[in-house]
Amino acid sequence: MPIFKTPFNGYSVKFSPFYESRLAVATAQNFGILGNGRVHVLALPPSPSLPLSELVAFDTADGVYDLAWSESHDSLLVAAVADGSVKLFDTALPPTQNPLRSLQEHTREVHSVDYNPTRRDSFITSSWDDTIKLWTLDRPASIRTFKEHAYCVYSAAWNPRHTDVFASASGDCTVRIWDVREPGSTMIIPGHDFEILSCDWNKYDDCLIATASVDKSIRVWDVRSYRAPIAVLNGHGYAVRKVKFSPHHRNLMVSCSYDMTVCMWDFMVEDALVGRYDHHTEFAVGLDMSVLVEGLLASTGWDELVYVWQHGTDPRAS
Amino acid sequence: MAMRDLVAGGAACAVPGSSSSNPLGALANTLLGSSSKTQERLKEIPTATATSSENRFFQDVEDPLRALPGAEFEQQPFSHPGGQGSEFLWGFRSTDQNGLADAWDEIERSHVPRPSQANVPQLDHVYDRGPQLQPTVYGPPQRVLSNFLHSFVESSHGGIPFRPAPLPLLGLSEGDKQCIRDRSSIMARHFFADKNEDFINAQVNALLSSLDIDSDAHAKGRLPRRFRDLEDYWNESQGSLRPGPHLADGWISEFSQHRLDHSDPDAWAHAFERQHGANSCVSEFEQEQLLASMDQIRGANIPNLAAMEQTRMLAHTLAQNNDPKFQNSKFLQFVSKMSRGELIIDDNQVKPAAGPSDWATEYQQKYTGGTSWADEYVRDEVSHGPDRWVNEFATEREQNGSVDDQWVNEFSKLHVNDWVEEFGQQVEEGALGDSSADAWANAYDEYLNEQVAVKKQSEASRGVYVFSDMNPYVGHPNPLREGQELFRKGLLSEAVLALEAEVLKNPDNAEGWRLLGIAHAENDDDQQAIAAMMRAQEADPTNLEVLLALGVSHTNELEQAAALKYLYGWLHNHSKYRTLATTELANSLHYANVARLFNEASQMSPEDADVHIVLGVLYNLSREYDRAIASFQMALKLKPQDYSLWNKLGATQANSVQSADAILAYQQALDLKPNYVRAWANMGISYANQGMYEESIRYYVRALAMNPKADNAWQYLRISLSCASRNDMLEACDRWNIDLLQKEFPL
Repeated sequence: MPIFKTPFNGYSVKFSPFYESRLAVATAQNFGILGNGRVHVLALPPSPSLPLSELVAFDTADGVYDLAWSESHDSLLVAAVADGSVKLFDTALPPTQNPLRSLQEHTREVHSVDYNPTRRDSFITSSWDDTIKLWTLDRPASIRTFKEHAYCVYSAAWNPRHTDVFASASGDCTVRIWDVREPGSTMIIPGHDFEILSCDWNKYDDCLIATASVDKSIRVWDVRSYRAPIAVLNGHGYAVRKVKFSPHHRNLMVSCSYDMTVCMWDFMVEDALVGRYDHHTEFAVGLDMSVLVEGLLASTGWDELVYVWQHGTDPRAS
Repeated sequence: MAMRDLVAGGAACAVPGSSSSNPLGALANTLLGSSSKTQERLKEIPTATATSSENRFFQDVEDPLRALPGAEFEQQPFSHPGGQGSEFLWGFRSTDQNGLADAWDEIERSHVPRPSQANVPQLDHVYDRGPQLQPTVYGPPQRVLSNFLHSFVESSHGGIPFRPAPLPLLGLSEGDKQCIRDRSSIMARHFFADKNEDFINAQVNALLSSLDIDSDAHAKGRLPRRFRDLEDYWNESQGSLRPGPHLADGWISEFSQHRLDHSDPDAWAHAFERQHGANSCVSEFEQEQLLASMDQIRGANIPNLAAMEQTRMLAHTLAQNNDPKFQNSKFLQFVSKMSRGELIIDDNQVKPAAGPSDWATEYQQKYTGGTSWADEYVRDEVSHGPDRWVNEFATEREQNGSVDDQWVNEFSKLHVNDWVEEFGQQVEEGALGDSSADAWANAYDEYLNEQVAVKKQSEASRGVYVFSDMNPYVGHPNPLREGQELFRKGLLSEAVLALEAEVLKNPDNAEGWRLLGIAHAENDDDQQAIAAMMRAQEADPTNLEVLLALGVSHTNELEQAAALKYLYGWLHNHSKYRTLATTELANSLHYANVARLFNEASQMSPEDADVHIVLGVLYNLSREYDRAIASFQMALKLKPQDYSLWNKLGATQANSVQSADAILAYQQALDLKPNYVRAWANMGISYANQGMYEESIRYYVRALAMNPKADNAWQYLRISLSCASRNDMLEACDRWNIDLLQKEFPL
């Protein structure tokens, strides 16, 4: 399946919600510790034996940690940059006319961005400044700042059904559930004893949320009864960096880890580990599942490679 | 006392790299917190209230912002906070390809002193360090830096301790340093997942001290507010009597410089000059050469070689790791190339080295011909050439090390203990001038109490039954009968006390424990219910009702494995279905197997309500709610008077987003048993799920009035209060003031 080599270390990869053959990759130099960043927009080849081709790339002054496609405009990308800025790119325009906008409000590294899939007019960013910010495309400043976490907020994700609800995962070892109509968080789940690096909502059951932690485990929670997780998925050898529910199967989810692997899980069965992909040779930190093509996966890592493959096949086979 | 522990630091939060022999580091830590965000502090979870900000809300409402719900909560909609750190990044990185080199040259030319030194000129006097000479560095500093960052990240692969190595001053600005410091400390906690905090801190400190990044000062952005406040109180309370915070900062950074880097090349060189003067080397070198090379040595080159040596060792260690993945790691290759000088970092790009431009090579060629003096120095083997000089230098280094220690000891005698104690006293006496200091202490104590409560709860989940403190039924002639009577009347909390008295008297009374468990379950306390039921099972391992109840309670707590074990046990001990339960199954209880067994059982005797109940519970476990509802409805046809069954049906309907139906089912349960706390609470949940928060509050309050110990219900009530914008009643909720709540929310 197709592979793409990035000059910098990969941080995040996302399929376009509009074009089944398009994806974007966020990268950072020197592992994101110091240096530049670059966003690549890639096209899948017509035949799997051909390599991925680059449509356009945008450079940034600091590493790009995450990005999200707009749900309302097919060419719009939002990038979370380590210098605290949030940048909007129009992939239909050349690099000289980009970024369309640079939103400088976070005081620390922006670590994640998530576009609202139901309202389609807003997005949230989470940052190492312990806050989450809510933005719309038509405003030069954030609409709101959510500040309750006591440590870096590594990820924030909208609920797929309730348009005003999102969850945030933080290094303060909690996940918080927020409703933007409320002044504060509506729920605090002390999910792990170690930092929580990622969270995602189940796309079929709007009460289920998965968390990934430095404690190497993934936990699945029911927000109606969150005192105990409904599943604990062990199998990664190091901290779990990202977790994502399948857009097509209620019980499936994927994760990537500092153990350099990508894993697929069925959280409802005893032997939850469905598959393990060992294709990366450095930390695997970026991961996505295509909404438009069932079973199509993409991953990137600090080995500077982007892989796109069909679940069940070898990512490295070409 | 909690405050005392915090002030004294405690072993858990000692600054790594500053062992017990580093009292000032400990002080810095206690006052400022360490810059890296330690887990210890993270575990404090602040409550999620918007308490003090009530009048802020709605203050700056601008109409257009109403476009998005919740926008009105933002108090400064169009503010543009100018991040200090990022300002630097803009300036530095906006330079293009050649910009980095230019920026570097500029730093070189202008001889900008490092900011940490600029802050504390007076300390140079105090400690007689003499003037600092600005080193001259040949070759781009990015190379050294990148080398270090890479070997740092690399060190996570094999869990290899990352040793500090002396590096030249890289001309990193404060912003750059902050970037490296913060990002590496945060990321290190992710890569070194299975290492302890000390190890991680040691790794990060090795990196930071090598880069001469002060790990304590200037990390203000990262201090949680509570700690900031304390620092402010301290500064305020000290007023003009004490050295101000500025000086304190200076001491700390000064101290770290001394402390973290015994082998600081400047320090060696200074000590050497001070004690021997430059002349002592003249016998070996021409003075001119010496002066020139002294600067170079002091600046970059020995450290550079030491760094190379370090990467060489790292490469060696990694080569011994058997994991083929780590063997093939590009990092490894990168690092080993780096160690051989084959790669350099230029203008932010890795390039093959462009010949012997590197000083080390030059030096070798110029001065020693064949054998590398530096290599010998690093390996501590001296075969020929300027060996006396080297020896003296090495001796000097040792002496200098002990001088450093003396300095530390003297310093600690002088000030540190006083400071810490005094600060502790200030706090104890409440002399910090502000009642919020007390509030802080109270909040902390509260937090500790919460932790204790949580621990107690987790003990209960492990099956330890927690008895009530005061029990009027102890000594009652027949507490079991009393308990049964109270239970029948629906006075569940009273019944619990009577039954506790019974099992205290007769710990082997399975019926007493079972009824106690059921009372707790109906009272919406599954943890205690499980604990009681487990005791009942110990007393009578084959009691079917107990096994079923345990299965249900574990399902409620979402503990699938345990639930399956007991449900299987139910089948295994049932006279009718015993044949279905084969022993080999008992060893590998998978959900699918157990569900299959019960389906078979239901075919064997479709008129047995209990089997349908278990099936309903099982389908709840697998979240197949439609099937679960069907099973419970089937059971209800056979047992229409079973109030707990109505409750189960309602809960299942609520789970499958049929909250309106659920309310009807709960109403049935309550008609049959008006004091059924769990059904009242569940009713509240169903109303809340439908967005009818006011209604839900009334039901929660009713449930809590009957059993104030229903933990879950308090939490639900809190959520509903905030959703219904009744933040005014949150305090009553937090204080468990049920009288006030009942008055406010009558049913």
